[in-house]
Amino acid sequence: MVMEYEVVIGLEVHVELMTKSKLFCACPNRFTTEANSHTCEVCLGFPGALPLLNREAVQKALTASLALNCEIALHSYFDRKNYFYPDIPKGYQISQYFIPLGSSGFLEIEDDSGAPKKIRIGRVHLEEDAGKLVHGGAGDSAVDYNRAGVPLIEIVSEPDLRSPGESRRYLEQLKSILQYAEVSDCKMEEGSLRCDANVSLRPKGSTVFGNKVELKNMNSFKAVEKALEYEIERQAQILRRGETVIPQTRRWDEDKQVTIAMRDKYQATDYRCFPDPELAPIELTAGEVEAARRALPEFPAQRKSRYMAEYGLPAYDAGVLTATRGMAEYFEACLKLYDDPKSLSNWIMGDFSAHLNAAGLEPQEAPLTPAYMAALLQMIDKQLISGKIAKEVMAKVFATGKSPREIVEGEGLLQITDQSELEKLVDEVIAANPDSVQSYRSGKTKALGFLVGQVMQATKGKANPQLVNKLLAEKLK
Amino acid sequence: MELGYITAAAAAEAVRKREIAARELVESFLGRCTALNGRINSFIHIFEQEAMDQAEVVDERIKGGEALPLAGVPVALKDDLCYSAGPTSWGAAALKDFHPPYTAAAVEKLIAAGAVIVGKANLDPFSLGFSTAASLAGPTVNPRNPDLPAGDGAAAAVAAGQCLLALSSDSGGALRIGADRCGIFGLRPTTGLVSRHGLCTAAPSFAQVGIAAREAADIELALQAIAGYDPRDAATAAVKEGIPAAQKRSAAKELKIGFPEAVFDLLPEADRASFEKYRAKLEASGAAVVAVELPLFQEALHAYCVIAAAEASSNLGRFDGIRFGIPEAEANMEDWYHKTRGRIFDLEAKRRSIFGTHLLSGENFDAYYRQAQKVWKLVRRSFAAALEHCDLLVLPVAVSPGNGCEAGGDFLASYQEKLFCAPVSLSGLPSLCVPAGDGAATAAGLQLVGKPYEEAALIALADRAAL
Ligand SMILES: [Zn+2]
Repeated sequence: MVMEYEVVIGLEVHVELMTKSKLFCACPNRFTTEANSHTCEVCLGFPGALPLLNREAVQKALTASLALNCEIALHSYFDRKNYFYPDIPKGYQISQYFIPLGSSGFLEIEDDSGAPKKIRIGRVHLEEDAGKLVHGGAGDSAVDYNRAGVPLIEIVSEPDLRSPGESRRYLEQLKSILQYAEVSDCKMEEGSLRCDANVSLRPKGSTVFGNKVELKNMNSFKAVEKALEYEIERQAQILRRGETVIPQTRRWDEDKQVTIAMRDKYQATDYRCFPDPELAPIELTAGEVEAARRALPEFPAQRKSRYMAEYGLPAYDAGVLTATRGMAEYFEACLKLYDDPKSLSNWIMGDFSAHLNAAGLEPQEAPLTPAYMAALLQMIDKQLISGKIAKEVMAKVFATGKSPREIVEGEGLLQITDQSELEKLVDEVIAANPDSVQSYRSGKTKALGFLVGQVMQATKGKANPQLVNKLLAEKLK
Repeated sequence: MELGYITAAAAAEAVRKREIAARELVESFLGRCTALNGRINSFIHIFEQEAMDQAEVVDERIKGGEALPLAGVPVALKDDLCYSAGPTSWGAAALKDFHPPYTAAAVEKLIAAGAVIVGKANLDPFSLGFSTAASLAGPTVNPRNPDLPAGDGAAAAVAAGQCLLALSSDSGGALRIGADRCGIFGLRPTTGLVSRHGLCTAAPSFAQVGIAAREAADIELALQAIAGYDPRDAATAAVKEGIPAAQKRSAAKELKIGFPEAVFDLLPEADRASFEKYRAKLEASGAAVVAVELPLFQEALHAYCVIAAAEASSNLGRFDGIRFGIPEAEANMEDWYHKTRGRIFDLEAKRRSIFGTHLLSGENFDAYYRQAQKVWKLVRRSFAAALEHCDLLVLPVAVSPGNGCEAGGDFLASYQEKLFCAPVSLSGLPSLCVPAGDGAATAAGLQLVGKPYEEAALIALADRAAL
């Protein structure tokens, strides 16, 4: 880290909203590999086609703005940002330039020392996405407009971030909150979250900003962190030589792990923004805003503290269980039916998560519903099955979708707790293993474990291990 | 039956009563469309086969017992209204061979009411103008007087008896000025009363779908068919729960008519004299004529020109050769846009694009665009205030031919011809252009401007006062 300079970073994040349809037409907002199949006269900009605002997108943008502690504009509208590029079908992008839906918000993260820090958010606004250029081998290009008109929100932070680490944590926190609020799936690798970074250096103690560089083309949080680290070092070297950083846009080259100048100087683009005359303003009532505020979910940080305080869970468990809204809701649904949080946490973090990952399922899609999970753990508690059998049963629930009880009963997995039945087996094992009996009696208590194992094997694991232990110990006295 | 001079209402009734088949009616009008087009040049596309097929459908529906209000009525569409049966060129090289996959809402409704579309009418490229002088197909000739401009191709088709009704767009006054010159009725409806879905426009703030007819009552008939809420045009949301009922007035003597004196002072001497005659006729019909004021009337035209140019520069941005128009494929995109747009845009489209770009750019935005928006708001208020003192207003449509600027003149002077129409476009109020001056093609025509959704009152007065 460069000590003589202070790092100043601001992030501009674009997030695709999870809506059923596009921002101004009924085309599905879903990924497809067939180019230009999710298009219509509106999102292709045909003459005579009028845009119609999708209220679901407004609702999601409102939720995101509230989740980021923004002030909400009850009256806002859409503007046209005019420019020419083949991936925009109308010659302009519809965005909110003059009045953003949300403004003056903040996001709380941990700084590099672990202390809480508020990062101010300047604006959250609603806009439409552009299409995609597909470059062919022969230097030709094709355009796919499936993405054109997909609703986005742009979240612009103030230049409050002071390190690549803070920037990464800001993005992680932002992603977690937006996923929790079901605003977006925030998959940077798939492009549903995109991030540009503005970074500059200034001498420690200075109050004026240095020349800033805009970084583009980072495809993961790790890439954002790496690109910032590289760029900070590059700028520091320039400043140390007594030279001036050129304000410019630079592209992160993932293969070479360097930033490369895209445009040598800022091209002062005048987008000639003006209110879109084809769209009515977005009017919200204070009541609608309050209803959206009340509908916000409990966010991960609050939830984690509550799990630790209320359920006595270790910080690690609370962190894992609250990492996604789906997992936290699954945990809480189970907890309503089964009240041992730690045991539940162990099972969820262990076998349950492993099965989910293997099957590529979300907790809500798991064949092992919260009711099945509770039933399974209750069978262990009542000593109807052992923990080992429970693991097998869970695997079978995932494989067949049958209930744990159905599996346990159908396959005769109920634990043998009948004393006379077990006594017979214990006698047989003692008779068949004179050597082990001999060592046990001569003081080698370890031999008892072997004999217990023999009984368990004979019952295919169904014997109650405590009972077997007790019976053996008595008979060998 | 002399079909060329029948009313739309009478023709529809004859078809409903099966006195004449829609096929016969339409065939007769198609004959006039083709026969007269060489001279008048009102149509750029005639639907010879499609119209006959449509007429057959109408006859079937009549046989099926449907009471179609516009049964078999032949209708012309200005070629900025999308109609999926054929090409929609919008008069522009950029849309050569464009076949829209959808039909404009107003056209759909007309067809549902039994009307038959006979052709697409001539227009200036991108509807930027009201003379057809810049049309790729050449100008339309005025059926009343070949020495005078016709203005609007659709109005000319109605005047020439090639059809009984026409739908035509009106932004700054194209339909009203065309109707005035051709001596027919032209209605620009209240903003938001008729869906604009499927209307190609460079000026979305002002464009409305209007109606041209030779009889005022036919305008009413067509308006009833096309007015109303359409989920595809958010601007019609105001009539979602139904169209507000107009005040009932049984006689002209219950009407108070506003005459803005200061506006008439803007007319040349000869035209002012015609308005004195109209005033006398209205008073004779029993209506009370009151003086009203419309402040900022002249500034309204400037506001209109600024906003319309700004919107044109943006709305025409999509014609870049990527999806519309044959491109000049260049490796460098700057060159591509330059060459393609340079070729597919006519002079007026280039002029508005450049003018609009200039007005919206950083240093001019507040001084022009913002200022124009403020003027727009004030003009709207001034019309509303004037209508608090009267039921409707009388205004000129345009300076009479020969007294104003003709085609080929200075373009800024040609903008000046919208002096009386553009302020009404800003007001959002309904306006009916009335053929007046005893049918003389050289007299200055007038428009009646009413309160929102009071089209019926304008039509009733126009019918009665015999101006
Ligand atoms: Zn679409």
